[in-house]
Amino acid sequence: MLIFENIKLALSSIRVNKMRSFLTMLGMIIGISSVIAIVSLGDTMRSAIAKEYENVGSTLGYLYINSPDGYYTDDYLFTADDKELVQEAFGDRLTYVGFNSSSKATMKNGRVVKEGNLMGLSENPSEYKKLNIIKGKLFSNLDVENARPFVILEEKDAMELFGSVDVVGRSIRTVIGSETKELTVTGVYRNQDSALMKLLSGSNNNRFTAYVPETLIFPKGSSAWTLYFCVNPAYDVNEVGNQVARYVAKIKNKDISQVMFYSAQQEMGTIDSMMSGLSAVVGAIAAISLVVGGIGIMNIMLVSVTERTREIGIRKALGARTQDILSQFLIESAIISAAGGAVGTALGIGVVAIGGMFVDMAVVVKPQVVILAVAFSAMVGIFFGLYPAAKAAKADPIEALRYE
Amino acid sequence: MAMRNIIEIQNLNKIYDTGAIQVHALKDVNLTIQEGEYVAIMGKSGSGKSTLMNILGCLDRPTSGSYVLDGIDVAKENPKQISYIRNQKIGFVFQSFNLIPRTSALKNVELPMIYGRVPAKERLERAKELLEKVGLGDRLHHMPNEISGGQKQRIAVARALANRPAILLADEPTGNLDTPSSVEVMNLFTQLNQEGVTVIVVTHEDDIAAFTNRIIRFQDGQMIEDKRRGEHADF
Ligand SMILES: Nc1ncnc2c1ncn2[C@@H]1O[C@H](COP(=O)(O)OP(=O)(O)O)[C@@H](O)[C@H]1O
Ligand SMILES: [Mg+2]
Repeated sequence: MLIFENIKLALSSIRVNKMRSFLTMLGMIIGISSVIAIVSLGDTMRSAIAKEYENVGSTLGYLYINSPDGYYTDDYLFTADDKELVQEAFGDRLTYVGFNSSSKATMKNGRVVKEGNLMGLSENPSEYKKLNIIKGKLFSNLDVENARPFVILEEKDAMELFGSVDVVGRSIRTVIGSETKELTVTGVYRNQDSALMKLLSGSNNNRFTAYVPETLIFPKGSSAWTLYFCVNPAYDVNEVGNQVARYVAKIKNKDISQVMFYSAQQEMGTIDSMMSGLSAVVGAIAAISLVVGGIGIMNIMLVSVTERTREIGIRKALGARTQDILSQFLIESAIISAAGGAVGTALGIGVVAIGGMFVDMAVVVKPQVVILAVAFSAMVGIFFGLYPAAKAAKADPIEALRYE
Repeated sequence: MAMRNIIEIQNLNKIYDTGAIQVHALKDVNLTIQEGEYVAIMGKSGSGKSTLMNILGCLDRPTSGSYVLDGIDVAKENPKQISYIRNQKIGFVFQSFNLIPRTSALKNVELPMIYGRVPAKERLERAKELLEKVGLGDRLHHMPNEISGGQKQRIAVARALANRPAILLADEPTGNLDTPSSVEVMNLFTQLNQEGVTVIVVTHEDDIAAFTNRIIRFQDGQMIEDKRRGEHADF
């Protein structure tokens, strides 16, 4: 086969019929660009979520008790006493135990008033929440035990309330429910969530998110549906989690089947497999669009072969073998298709990059996806070029030379 | 000149079967052409000249009879070998030029050498040399639609000669040319024949045939006359 000569021939034929070649490529361009865009979008989302779970910590687990009849009494809920029992029973196997409690609140500094949420942090808060503290520091365990009136503000809220981020030591009047408390600012943090995560978590720029010792908003006697905990990384999350579940069943006098335990790892696996399933569906749709693109290529190649019947006759009269003609047209359709694939890839990456700019996220484009897309589109070209090329190669030279 | 048979045809028949009617285009043709001959094939339209040329050029196969080209019994060859024979043994010049459109003179002349797997550098040199030989050394990069009919036919001749074929076949090569261009092309054939190329030209014009040394006349698919220079008053 005259690979090199036929490549040159194909390129010049594409150049001569620029518009038609472009239109032929269009199907592939659209097909491949949507594949790349959607697959890359999926990968980007997946990596964003993975990063989010990294922040939360893959050591995180939580559990709650299911009522068989849907009727909940106090003994289905967790109290500070339950928490202490669990802490004592598991010792260093659990690095954090808390309720993930939150409370609506209003902060006032002079004439500036802001609404938002106070989030409770229990002992060893850094195990549970990876806050990027830019001023001051996280709460100590004593702060938590003594329910000290401390607060950690977000940078932007500090700016709004005080006009500065250098506010450690300042106090802020905070209305929690019917109570009014003077909270002392002990730290300022910077929100590192991506725009997408802010969107997903429904955080609102007008509302503040501040952290306080959990005991402040979850005093003794309160109860919660869910108990959160972090497992010492030296142990397996699911193993320890199941032990905690058994222990909780025992102290709450419930059947183990009623205690539902989930870990962040499990959740991430669920999201991951959901995304993979989505990718598979999208992949199938994309494959159909590529087949449509391929049929477009076949159509144009058939037109091209018919148009060039006489040329084929001349080539045969000059000594071209059947396989020379076959490879000429196969290479032409493979190049058109692969070029369409390459343009589509660039377009797809461009779309994802622009989309990524809007949601302020680093875009993930896997090189193997790009290689696969171009190789696959070349294969589509060869497959759908096969019939037109075979038709050209089979042509009878005399008939072909007589063709007008 | 060595008297070697380059073409040997025995009892050649060609019947076109178009379903309803059968056309007996060549009837029991026996013909021998020697290396270095300069032959004109004449006859009225429909007498079978093109049919014979297509068989000689291995573009078509006879219905019966044998054709030996340069010692090769063509009937026994497979399609790949037939392509090789077309490429290496035969140079074909057509009435309608049949240059590849949108392809430069140089590229057109290189084409048989591409299919003959001649290395690129050698190919380019030979193509230039041939175009100079046919007087188109200054038209290397012109496209077929940028030049006259006479120039096109000279490119076609250069292309036919690319792989130094055993025979040069021309089916009414001057049919689409004016008289000066026709004379130019025939002078070129004469020069090539003097250099040793076996040339077979189909024509129905006497003054074109007059360039050659042997005239074979066909009528209704049969050879009715075969005369050489000196055997006839005209020659
Ligand atoms: N492909 C074909 N199918 C049927 N009949 C044909 C075909 N080609 C040529 N013929 C017939 O064969 C005869 C010889 O044709 P041809 O060799 O082209 O004559 P010439 O070249 O001398 O004009 C004519 O009667 C013509 O109609
Ligand atoms: Mg004819």
